[in-house]
Amino acid sequence: MGEVVGPSALDRALRPLHRWVWRDPQRCARKLLRFAETEADGGRDLSRAAELTNDPLLRRLYFRHAEDELRHAALFRERGRALLRGLPRARAGFEANWLAPGERGLDDLRVDRERDESLLAFLHLSEKAAAQRFAMYRQVLGHDPATRAVFDDVLHDEAFHMSYTHTQLARVAAGRSRMRLWRARIARLWKAYLRAAAALASVVGTLLLRVQYFLLLPPFALFARRAWRREPAGFVAARRPSPLTSQY
Amino acid sequence: MRILGISAHYHDSAAALVDGGVPVCAVQEERLSRRKNDAAFPLLAIEWCLERAGLEPEQLDAVVFYEKPMLKFERILTMALRGFPRTWRSFPRAMKNSLGEKLWVKGIIASHLGVPGRKILFTEHHQAHAAAAFLTAPTRAAAILTADGVGEWATLSVGRGAVDAEGRTKIEAMREIRFPHSLGMLYSTFTAWLGFPVNEGEYKVMGLAAHGRPSLAAEVRKVLLRTPEGGFALDLSWFDYHLSARSSYSTKFLDAFGAARDPWDPIDLSTERGRHYADVAASVQRVLEDTLVDLASALRAETGLPDLCLGGGVALNGCANARILRESGFERVFVPPAPGDAGCALGAALYADRVHFANPWREVPDHPFWGPEAEPADLSRLAGEDGLPSERFAEPELLARVADELYAGRIVGWVDGPSEFGPRALGHRSILAAPHDAAMRDKLNRSIKFREEFRPFAPAVPIEAASRYFDLPAGGERLGRFMSGVFPVRPEWRDRLAAVTHVDGTARVQTVERGMAPRFHALLEAVGRRTGLPVLLNTSFNLAGEPIVNRAAEAYSTFRRSGIDLLVCGPVLVPKKRAAQRGAEEAVA
Repeated sequence: MGEVVGPSALDRALRPLHRWVWRDPQRCARKLLRFAETEADGGRDLSRAAELTNDPLLRRLYFRHAEDELRHAALFRERGRALLRGLPRARAGFEANWLAPGERGLDDLRVDRERDESLLAFLHLSEKAAAQRFAMYRQVLGHDPATRAVFDDVLHDEAFHMSYTHTQLARVAAGRSRMRLWRARIARLWKAYLRAAAALASVVGTLLLRVQYFLLLPPFALFARRAWRREPAGFVAARRPSPLTSQY
Repeated sequence: MRILGISAHYHDSAAALVDGGVPVCAVQEERLSRRKNDAAFPLLAIEWCLERAGLEPEQLDAVVFYEKPMLKFERILTMALRGFPRTWRSFPRAMKNSLGEKLWVKGIIASHLGVPGRKILFTEHHQAHAAAAFLTAPTRAAAILTADGVGEWATLSVGRGAVDAEGRTKIEAMREIRFPHSLGMLYSTFTAWLGFPVNEGEYKVMGLAAHGRPSLAAEVRKVLLRTPEGGFALDLSWFDYHLSARSSYSTKFLDAFGAARDPWDPIDLSTERGRHYADVAASVQRVLEDTLVDLASALRAETGLPDLCLGGGVALNGCANARILRESGFERVFVPPAPGDAGCALGAALYADRVHFANPWREVPDHPFWGPEAEPADLSRLAGEDGLPSERFAEPELLARVADELYAGRIVGWVDGPSEFGPRALGHRSILAAPHDAAMRDKLNRSIKFREEFRPFAPAVPIEAASRYFDLPAGGERLGRFMSGVFPVRPEWRDRLAAVTHVDGTARVQTVERGMAPRFHALLEAVGRRTGLPVLLNTSFNLAGEPIVNRAAEAYSTFRRSGIDLLVCGPVLVPKKRAAQRGAEEAVA
């Protein structure tokens, strides 16, 4: 174990952006608190994986992994709160969370639908992506040694997580581990595409509904408001029950 | 008749099966999917119910959904129209949210279960609440009061239920308050302002309220206006929830009560800001209680009935329930174990059975244990695979050993038989501890439940001994059956019940009857023999952000990840081995 992880090429190219994102203490604090939530969610997914697997060794490793995630959540939470304590109250600003696919944890993973092999491959890739991103954060946090120390601590565990998932994948998918990893990479890309497509569809849907809202609704809105003004306040007679076959 | 009830899509999905007029099983989807407050269509819960009953979907006589989707959609669309043009932001979200599976429920049920459309029925939301409250209570005539955030249009309804000599059931809704005027939404708005998640953090507001003074109750009463016919209306200028999907409160609200709490900011009751939050919580709690007491008193006077059945999410407010019992004139108040939306699955099925199909009244077993069983053998296997010792005991030895461990200050995970239906752990999926020391409360909050320090823990006590330790009004034992009432701890016992006595000297007592939970009752008696005090701290068997455990594997997982010292499932007991395992794990990586 103890694989050393450095930032990915993409992250190195985006270094000025990362530096800018982490320079603002307010944003930094909120990102850390967001990471705390993500890590805690990831910990819950890993606990679920431990509950579902029939492999005793994997169960112990998943439990250990889950404990690590919860510890990371506590570290991030504590540091985020410490930063916030020293700052004036402000609304959350731009956090650039979309920059951090590796930090999405296991949120789009249905643990109960995965077999050990595919789960280990997914975990390995997720941990690697997170470790690369955290390595970049560590580098741009030279001005904040306390936060940097949190990432140091987390990175140590990430190395273990990457290592055990790789070793165990080789054990449970003997001879198929490379194929599993490629399938997991493709699945991650597919999920990224689905997220992007869903986001785009949502934007288009919102736009169309807004157009309809302003074009079609005004006359109906007029009637609805007029009817509302006639409604009595407080108790009204209960609606006469409709038959159970009716949806209305 | 075999009738499946379903609640879904907003929060707390569930399924329940009624056969021959009696519940067979019921479970919340979250207990099976392991996603807290899972609102998805409860496919796992339905599959489990059918499997438990040994039925195929085509053998069902009816599938009943707990609300009328088209009527609900009408409300959402109407609110968008009324708020025009201020609803321009929320409209697309509301439509996208509703036009998916929430509107096409009939098709979804038909496609998942393969049942013909004619077998699919729909109750109204508050009908299902009323049925869940009345038809599960051991009474044949009662006034009914249901209150929650919102169903289709109704947010609160009053009525009555009766079973005649021939066993025919009638549930009559007399009056209702309609959206956007809602006690549930009022409380949820304050929940959101206090930085807690809505539909989940309302308990926290009630717990926090005990730390404050209702010094802002007059301000809250400006928000909640009483109307001449005995109802209420909200002054909507204080709210945004009817116009916006993003915020519940308006700037006027913020001007009056101050800036909302940042959810990341812990509540520190030693600071002025922390005390202000507690005072606001106490104020909204006071106004809610006063309003409910008034409504219940009027209902008592109108119906003349001695029994009241309470339903809807608001009925989870144990402080309000206790005041209703003490002050409204009702002799008995019944709150079902699942008064929220999950319970509507059972309510809808029972309503269809008794009212739609007019089947004769049947007494419903008066317990909450309708969920899946845990297998002790699974626990033995899991512990063995992890190198932990597991011991199998005969009943008396097991109870004596657990009582000894509790007396020694150990924390016990207790799993017994079928799980509870509803949000409370009532002795089948519980974390138990000695109630004597306030340090135990802090330990549980810190190392097991990982939750705020201001939240209290509940005591469980045999029903025969309850009045000795707790100041229960007449009917209080009944309200304590499903932990639905908050009552004072007798002053002379508060020091010895420090871990379960809240800051205001009260506790949400569970009165355990031997007939309902014989093993838990026996454990309490064993504890009484060992310590002289047959009371235990009883909190739900889960960690923060997770649903209550269901099967042995989940109990074991929670045991592994928390400071629980001892896990008991049926006759099997597993003590925790504290030896560090990290080195061994890293060696295999």
